[in-house]
Amino acid sequence: MPSSRLLDADLLHLRRRVLAPAKIAKELLPATNRTGYWATLLKENSILLITTLEIFTIAIAAGIVGSILGLGGGIIIVPSLTLLFGVSMRSAVAASTVSIIATSTGAAVAFLRDRLTNTRVAMWLEMGTATGALSGALIAGYLDQRFLFILFGLLLAYSGYNMFRTRKAELPGEVVPDRLSKKLNLAGSYYDRMLGRRVEYQVTRTLPGLIIMYFSGAAAGLLGIGAGIFKVPAMDQVMRMPFKASTATSNFMIGVTAASGAVVYFARGDVKPLVAGPVVLGVLLGAVLGARLMVRMKTSTIRKLFIPLLVYTAIEMIYRGVKG
Amino acid sequence: MMPETHHEAPSRHEPIEMVLARLLRLGSMIAAILLAVGIGAMLLGHTGFAPRLITAGLLTLLATPIMRVVVAGLIFARDRDWRFAFFCLVVLCALVAGVLLGHGHGE
Repeated sequence: MPSSRLLDADLLHLRRRVLAPAKIAKELLPATNRTGYWATLLKENSILLITTLEIFTIAIAAGIVGSILGLGGGIIIVPSLTLLFGVSMRSAVAASTVSIIATSTGAAVAFLRDRLTNTRVAMWLEMGTATGALSGALIAGYLDQRFLFILFGLLLAYSGYNMFRTRKAELPGEVVPDRLSKKLNLAGSYYDRMLGRRVEYQVTRTLPGLIIMYFSGAAAGLLGIGAGIFKVPAMDQVMRMPFKASTATSNFMIGVTAASGAVVYFARGDVKPLVAGPVVLGVLLGAVLGARLMVRMKTSTIRKLFIPLLVYTAIEMIYRGVKG
Repeated sequence: MMPETHHEAPSRHEPIEMVLARLLRLGSMIAAILLAVGIGAMLLGHTGFAPRLITAGLLTLLATPIMRVVVAGLIFARDRDWRFAFFCLVVLCALVAGVLLGHGHGE
């Protein structure tokens, strides 16, 4: 149990506490017994080392899951930091927000190279998420959070049901692009390593997609939940993009929205370097690994991983809304 | 099918995906090195500069996606794809406004 209490405070204090007795021991002990000093130091340091390694391991897992599914991984990071390590909610959310940037940046390199990321769709939709997050932050406090939790929870449950229906489809069928999609030249193509061929695709319902992104950005600003879980279904089910292109493009987008939130957390001093450091490095490595796995995975496998998370988040949101 | 506004395959330039991939790789590598050295120093007991190295790593990572929007905007402008350059500008303005607003809220 000591590790959980220790991490809650600034780890710097911990280090001073640990080192002070060791220094005293060094001064008091005769020179012949110096090995005793090092043994003490090592023993005391091992708590810090083990805690850091534990956080690091969980962060790698979160990075892998987040990069495969196009999510931030906050769903793993925040509960682990608060429940397992006793980190305060504020520091945990701040560390998680910076780690969303790590997931996005770490995985995007591989996705961009394989052309899985549709940069034009991403830029178009980022307008929605960025302005949505802004208005969400502006109107926060004027809206009933409970109602929003239930509303967005039900929306997620519905998209979970839709995704379950199409769980076996590897690619969307014939998609007719709408006028705006043609005008903005949103069609894309990528080489699918799993199928072993180039996939050409069209994008449709361009404006509804942007509007959904606006509300998902607002939801992220209002409710403090990851917007990735809304972005993937919006691109997959509404705009009819291939699932892999949807998760890769969502992954690309989440970093930008998270960056604006992270700046604020930094300014408030919520980002504790000794907690956020191991988390972010782990997530970064996990995301690089996860992206390499994802490009070789079957769409149906990724969907099977996505659906339970979608259902879990939907239930959690509805629960929070009902409980108040 | 080909819209009149966008010229496919501007052969003189590298595709935008590759430019952005290099930018993001550079950002994440610098961040990873700073973080790894910082965490290593922390475990060895250098309490003075370890947190500063880690913070530098975190800030590098934070700046990367913002730089990505700026660079994407510049590439779209270079390709005279004014619509998408404008989209990038909207995103940047919303980000800046969000940061300023967040500072106002800070307790």
